[in-house]
Amino acid sequence: MTWWRRAFPLELAEEGHFSRREFARFLALVSAGFTTGIGLLWLRKKPLEGAPDPESGPTGHPVALGLAADLRPGQSRLFKYRDAHDACILLRTGKGELKAYRQTCTHLGCAVRYSEGRLECPCHMGYFETDRGFPVQGPPTRPLSAIALEERPDGTLWAVGELPKPALENLGPRAGCVRESTEAQA
Amino acid sequence: MNTPVRISPAVLGVILVLLVIQLYLFETVLGAVLDGQRGVLPGAFGVSLALTLIALFLAFRSTVEHGRKKDGA
Repeated sequence: MTWWRRAFPLELAEEGHFSRREFARFLALVSAGFTTGIGLLWLRKKPLEGAPDPESGPTGHPVALGLAADLRPGQSRLFKYRDAHDACILLRTGKGELKAYRQTCTHLGCAVRYSEGRLECPCHMGYFETDRGFPVQGPPTRPLSAIALEERPDGTLWAVGELPKPALENLGPRAGCVRESTEAQA
Repeated sequence: MNTPVRISPAVLGVILVLLVIQLYLFETVLGAVLDGQRGVLPGAFGVSLALTLIALFLAFRSTVEHGRKKDGA
C-alpha cells in the first residue's frame, strides 16, 4: 500500500464515482464558461459599474453641480452623473483645483471619500491621489474614472463628460512611480 | 472484457494549464474593460475560444488509454 493510500484511506468504490475523464470534462466546461463571460462582456453595450463610458466622451449630457465658488479647498460634494446609481465625487484640492471622479473604488467597488487631501476607500484602506486619481496606497492598482468639468461664465460648474483613463503602459504599480518618472524626464 | 478508456494525467495537466491561462486572461480583460479599453475584447474572445476548443477536444475526444486497450481497438 502506497503512502498516500495510508494517508487518505478512501474506498476504491468511492474513487470510481468521479473519474479523471469526468474531471477533465468539468474543467473544459469551466473553460467554456470563461469564454462565454468574455463574449458577454463583448456583447454588453452598457458599461460595467465604475467603468468609463466610451460612447459618452466629452460631449455627454451635462449635469449641473452648482456654483464653483461654493466649494472651498479641502471640501467635497457628491453627485450622480450617468444615472441614479452612478455616484461621483466633486472636490476642490488644497491647491484650489476642482476635480471630479467616479466614487467607485477600482479594487472592489466600495465608495471612496475625500479626506486629508486624498481620496480614501474605507473598506480596505486604499488611497488615491487627487490630481489624476492614481492609486497611491493599499490594494487598488487602477486609477479612478475621472469626470470632465466645465466652469461656465456665470460661475456654475457642470460635469460634461468622462475623461479617458491613462494608458496602461504609463501606469506604474503606484502613482508615485509615475510622478517620479515624469519629473525625472522634465 | 472492455477496459474503460481513461484520459492520461498529462492531458489532464494540459487542461489545467489552459484553465489557468484562461483565468489570467479573463482577469486581465476584466481589468481592461473596467478601464474603458473595450478594444481588447475581440482578440481576447478569440484566444479564449481557441483555448476552450482545445480543452474540450482533450476532455471529450482524447483517446489516450491507460492499461489494456479495448479488444479490436
